[in-house]
Amino acid sequence: MTADVVPAGERDLIRVEHLRKLYPVRRRGVFRSRQTGEIRAVDDISFTIRRGETLGLVGESGCGKTTTARAMLHLIEPTSGSAFFGDVDVLEVFAEGRREDTLKIRRRMQYVFQDPYLSLNPRWTIAQTLLEPFRVHRHVPEADWHRRLVELLHLVGLEEYHAWRYPHEFSGGQRQRVGIARALAVEPEFVICDEPVSSLDVSVRAQILNLLVELQAKLRLTYLYISHDLSSVRFVSNRVAVMYLGKIVEMAAVDELFSHPMHHYSYALLTAIPVPDPDVPAGRSVLVGEVPSAMRIPQGCRFHPRCPAATEVCRTVEPPLAPAGGDRLLACHHPR
Amino acid sequence: MGITRYIVRRLMFSVALVLGVSVIIFTLINAIGNPVEILLADRPGITQEAIDAISRYYNLDQPPLIRYFVWLWNVVRGDFGTSIVYNQPVGDMLFTWGLETMKIQIPAILISLVAAIFIAVTAATRQYSRVDFGVMSGALLGQSLPGFFVGIILILVFSYWLGIFPSYGAYSTRRMLMGSGLIDGLWHMVLPVAMLAFFNTATLTLLMRSNMVDVLRHDFIMAARASGLPERRVVYRHAVRNAFIPVLTYLGILFGLMLGTAPVTETVFTWPGLGFLYIQAIQQLDYPVIMGETMIITVMLVTATLLTDIAYVLIDPRIRLE
Repeated sequence: MTADVVPAGERDLIRVEHLRKLYPVRRRGVFRSRQTGEIRAVDDISFTIRRGETLGLVGESGCGKTTTARAMLHLIEPTSGSAFFGDVDVLEVFAEGRREDTLKIRRRMQYVFQDPYLSLNPRWTIAQTLLEPFRVHRHVPEADWHRRLVELLHLVGLEEYHAWRYPHEFSGGQRQRVGIARALAVEPEFVICDEPVSSLDVSVRAQILNLLVELQAKLRLTYLYISHDLSSVRFVSNRVAVMYLGKIVEMAAVDELFSHPMHHYSYALLTAIPVPDPDVPAGRSVLVGEVPSAMRIPQGCRFHPRCPAATEVCRTVEPPLAPAGGDRLLACHHPR
Repeated sequence: MGITRYIVRRLMFSVALVLGVSVIIFTLINAIGNPVEILLADRPGITQEAIDAISRYYNLDQPPLIRYFVWLWNVVRGDFGTSIVYNQPVGDMLFTWGLETMKIQIPAILISLVAAIFIAVTAATRQYSRVDFGVMSGALLGQSLPGFFVGIILILVFSYWLGIFPSYGAYSTRRMLMGSGLIDGLWHMVLPVAMLAFFNTATLTLLMRSNMVDVLRHDFIMAARASGLPERRVVYRHAVRNAFIPVLTYLGILFGLMLGTAPVTETVFTWPGLGFLYIQAIQQLDYPVIMGETMIITVMLVTATLLTDIAYVLIDPRIRLE
């Protein structure tokens, strides 16, 4: 990697700082409602993504992965925090709300949705869906729309005749190709892939993952790849962040994390990956109990009620996310 | 299956349906008995000979089966018979009285459609807010209040207390005073249209709002936002169009049922339309009018359903013909 010659700050394309998203919980009375608590979906998280890399974001369902991603693009409004793209604070731009500025952001940062059955307008042809960004951004002269449309379709492995069809005429894999093409229509630099393969048949997952990797090389894209499926994360990511109950608990280069997870939660997730060999005895899950509700996050380390190594200090003091050798960040009092 | 074949097949079903309804209504009317006898029996000075003569004049001495086919043959040739009470051709009556009904029904439907879309979008984009809560309560109230009650309240407030709008009829001598039949006609239309629109708006709003809420949850809405589309266009281009299909069905039913709701409105406002005529005809056993109007109601309902289904296919590419 040549990244080492670049000063640490400049190779970061994305820098998320103290991002929080709280949902108030209200009890409704007859005439008024009062707030009785809050759900801390994303609870003060910070991380960076380097130019050209893929950061994998893993964690169980409901741990706040999607909320983080959507808040970064201001698709949902975060409670506080910032998300820098280069040196522009995306969330501040949206707060100010000047249209030409927000449009610039939308052109650079795009989103691929999990379920291609829900993310395409069922009454629009593929051409209509793909041309909408052209209509909004006007970054391609109208005379070139058709040529660009065909280019886009070829880029994601579809043919020109697919443009005139409706989403229901496609398979899940093809629809996801359309979803990717829509994200690429504005020629973005950064793409968030939110579980792009988890609603697809196992047989087409590899094709879509290969496509994503290919496109990254060809178009020099930076990805945030969200998934609960660790094998796909391992395949596409350079670095991995592990999320638990709205917080990042460990972050490291993909090989380091997979070969030597230091957080007990990361370890538990990794041992839960099934091994496709009947002779290998099935690993017993080291996790006990259920994920606590995001409304009642445990005191101290939020993982302690389920952690095999928890001690008194874990119950009272929340461990900060701190450097733990090399490129690794870790939030644990008693690392493995 | 091509759309032409589909339409032809549906049309054949429709004709069969209309014929079926005509048989049922004809049987029911005949079950009551000879209208001439019923209407004239107790009048002093009417002899049996006179009744027989009048019955013969209206072909009532023939067996029902024959009379049905005579009636059917005449209808096919465009002749609906002659009203016993008005002594006018039923076809002409249906046309002139029908125009009066359209005059209040069509504006009411159009007004309520525009209003409902606007109100529902406002509510759905602010789900669970006070605005949404208010709209829902209002719409539920509007839907549950009986039409005649709303009509009478309108008359009480706007005619009796405020004296702004007339409480009955479609025309008045004011026509001369104002120098224009148009303004006078519009003036009379306001209250009946308001009563109809009130109910329609309530129902359409509830339907549209729940569809909007459902559509707004889909990821393609967020995808549209992610591509930078302004919020207004996200709502109108993506959400409203998708939420509109079930409303379209209901709209079709509203058009078809126009004559079903007409009797109540037109009785409350003494409006000279088909609904008013229908009630009168039933009370007076004016059977050519009853038959003719039932046919019109059936044909309108069947046509509206057919047009709705065709519009469906044109709007929603996912719907397959089978």
